[in-house]
Amino acid sequence: MKTLTLTAALALAFAGIAHSAEPVFPKDLPPYGEAKPLPPLPVDQHVLPNGLTVWIVPRQGMPKITAVLTLLGGTAADPANAPAVSDLFSGLLDAGTTTRSSQQLAEQWQAIGGEFSSGSSADAITLRGTALASHAPVLMDLLGDIALHSTFPDKEVALGKANALQELKASEGEPAWQASRAFATALYGDHPYARIVPTEASIEAATPASLRAEYAQRARPDRALLVIVGKIDAVKALALATATFGHWKASGAPSTETPAVPVDVKPVRVLVQRDGSVQSAIRMGHPAVSANNVDYVPLTVANMIFGGSFSSRLTEDIREDKGYTYSPGSIVTPRRAGSELRVVADVRNEVTGPTLDEVDKLLRGMATQPASDEELVGAKRLIAGLYLYRNQQQRSLATTLATTWTYKLPASFVTEYVEKTSQVTAEQVTAIGSRYFDPALQSIVIVGDEKAIDSQLKAHGNFRVVKP
Amino acid sequence: MRRLGVAVLATVLGLSTGAHAADTDRWKLPIAVKKLDNGLVVVVSEDHTSPIVGISVVYHVGMRLEPENRTGFAHLFEHLMFQGTPVSPKGVFDRVIQGGGGINNGSTRADFTNYIETGPTTALAPMLWLEADRMRALDFSEKNLTNQRDVVKEEIRVNVTNQPYGLFYWTHLNALAFDKWANKHDGYGSFKDLDSARIDDVKAFHAKFYQPGNAVIGVAGDVEAAQVFALVEKYFGDIPTQTAPVRGDVSEPLNTKERRTSETDSLARVPALAIGWKAPPRGSRDHAAMAVLSQLLVGDNASRFYQGLVKNRELLTNIDGGLNFPLGDAWDFDGPTMLSLFAMYKPTTSPDAVLKGLDEEIAHIDHDGVDAASLARVKTKMLSDWYGQLESFINRADAIAKLQTLWGDARTVNDVPKLIDGVTPADVQRVARTYLVAANRSVIDRTPVAAK
Repeated sequence: MKTLTLTAALALAFAGIAHSAEPVFPKDLPPYGEAKPLPPLPVDQHVLPNGLTVWIVPRQGMPKITAVLTLLGGTAADPANAPAVSDLFSGLLDAGTTTRSSQQLAEQWQAIGGEFSSGSSADAITLRGTALASHAPVLMDLLGDIALHSTFPDKEVALGKANALQELKASEGEPAWQASRAFATALYGDHPYARIVPTEASIEAATPASLRAEYAQRARPDRALLVIVGKIDAVKALALATATFGHWKASGAPSTETPAVPVDVKPVRVLVQRDGSVQSAIRMGHPAVSANNVDYVPLTVANMIFGGSFSSRLTEDIREDKGYTYSPGSIVTPRRAGSELRVVADVRNEVTGPTLDEVDKLLRGMATQPASDEELVGAKRLIAGLYLYRNQQQRSLATTLATTWTYKLPASFVTEYVEKTSQVTAEQVTAIGSRYFDPALQSIVIVGDEKAIDSQLKAHGNFRVVKP
Repeated sequence: MRRLGVAVLATVLGLSTGAHAADTDRWKLPIAVKKLDNGLVVVVSEDHTSPIVGISVVYHVGMRLEPENRTGFAHLFEHLMFQGTPVSPKGVFDRVIQGGGGINNGSTRADFTNYIETGPTTALAPMLWLEADRMRALDFSEKNLTNQRDVVKEEIRVNVTNQPYGLFYWTHLNALAFDKWANKHDGYGSFKDLDSARIDDVKAFHAKFYQPGNAVIGVAGDVEAAQVFALVEKYFGDIPTQTAPVRGDVSEPLNTKERRTSETDSLARVPALAIGWKAPPRGSRDHAAMAVLSQLLVGDNASRFYQGLVKNRELLTNIDGGLNFPLGDAWDFDGPTMLSLFAMYKPTTSPDAVLKGLDEEIAHIDHDGVDAASLARVKTKMLSDWYGQLESFINRADAIAKLQTLWGDARTVNDVPKLIDGVTPADVQRVARTYLVAANRSVIDRTPVAAK
């Protein structure tokens, strides 16, 4: 893999680039050190005869290993009448296999210093296991047993359903959870990305047989990726992967591909009524382009400038200047069939309207106030720094590689992305600003108490009040 | 905490191992320590596998030491550390760190406050300079105080007032279980006390606690120890030492009678319990055994409480907890703490039934001890978790800085695994009998109620 450098970004000394509205950097502040090349990220890539893709990254240092198995087909592949049933079956994968009970599995993971977790996203089912390095063979054996031989025992499914119903009820009390659910509905309507959480009905209707059938649809080597990262030799890792998964065969039809997200949806206004709420949980945004689109990279750079970091326009304004909120931010979440721009702020009731005013102003500013040199360079450097930070950690790297594959991108994209961001110009950011950040494009969802904030919302459209 | 989202709860632990992890699983961290003339201690752990560095500046002051009519002040002060200095106006700190490709955060705990950052090694010098700059002085302005008071109130709203359960298993359980104000008061603070905070309080707190003799700097990553020592000497060496802060006796005996209360929650939909048993002091004979017992009882899905109460008896939907839960881990405290639990229970059961189930699990250990296989598994898991928490350079820097601060020696990072490995079945049985008894237990039952 090629090595790239951040020379362009690092060549700018910060002393000269602050514009008038920004603080003057102290004269004694030492400069950054000389730019170093970005270290390469070699990924040992294989495809087994049964179609399973295997990516291996040997690492020195911490004597542990992480293995991630990702299966295409997450909540978006669930039947419309069984929303987020993926949540249920993915959480029950380690409830028992043909040869091990759930307790035996838990104890055997513990014995290798391991941890197993599994879950669903919109696009995939992910199984993740870790262990001390010397136990790599057991780690792979356990991961393979769960992936290929889980049985969804009757008693475990019954308990899992009862607990899922209780957890669903508990989640209904959380403003962030309410906001996520309502935001997905607002943005995606009938598109499967709307169905990110289960309903009582979908949980109650599940049976061991239906969970087995749903899982079997996703458990196909030709639509799966195995990532192994950690203190292990690449040859040994491949041998373990082959021994564990080489004989894996698909059964039945695969899940269907998710249609592209609708990018021309009409923005909506929704207020989710929450009695006694002392804050408004504000979410704004819209569906956007997939990571393969030419706009995607500049969109992420623009987002970093808008609300993606601590010195972003959003944080500096509504937190550091106005004190409206503790944890504002914005994020571009990639998906297999698109992406999503989301602005987040939880604010006290009294400043709900003023916050919406400020965010609108800042959104408009993305098209009218070009990024300063400092903003642009800072965003690029932060992206490069985060690349180094996240990829130094094996679990984080394994997850990044798995999601990259899920988004139909090559492993090399992880590094190439940083190089591409370094070439983004202020003009591109401004163009992205008018195409994606225009307030007229944003749906707004608020979880809060209508009687406390209703009068402040008038200027921002007609909010449909929903009682969950 | 300054901002949610960057999960950086480090810990302590080290390496070595027992009979249960292979020799290849041993991981010893290099540790170099230097003390400056002004009392500042610098700890460096080199790792040249990635061109980044983690920094943690740990001040030996937390919620326990805040003034009695100023609940929440240690945390409010933490926020003010990011608000600029006489020479670096507000905004410079974040812009320089981000401009160097780094991220930063801070958090306030009972016994310490830490300031952490990580970035490419090319940002090492500016990041250390900024830390020295704010150790020297802050921009003590009313505007900043007002602004961050508002931000902290939003933090409390988002985590407490507007949230089901509102962290009652932290603040309310402390208030119930402990007797001394230092240990029992709400570290997030009352709005009244936050409103009462004045700039003079900020100045006094900085002068007293934020000084070189009360701080440790941890640095981990792609650096040379000598280079770090030289930079720290250059930037921090002339910061004057102040009188060492007085630390009162915050210790408490175990409780001798069970304490129980009940509360209602208008945001929660499901009833929950907070349960805590007062724990042995840091570094005491029983400390490591209590950590092992905690892992055995509630550490993961193989644990006795999970298997016994969530799976077999089907009384709980979930259970979370541990020694020094929820704001720390089994090793990063230096005052009274608890083995605490937070669990949601099913509408078909009762708190008494849950407590009975927990007591039955504890009684197994009381009567029969712990079998060798279970103990070996638990120790292996603890070793692995310890390594995992040391993986990122920012967490590693934080761990060694905290160990130096709380244990007096960063090399403890390589000793804690030996402490774990030395725990015997008899030790586990002894601590179960001593600490996990009803008389030493505090329980809060929190049930849903309709919102007004």
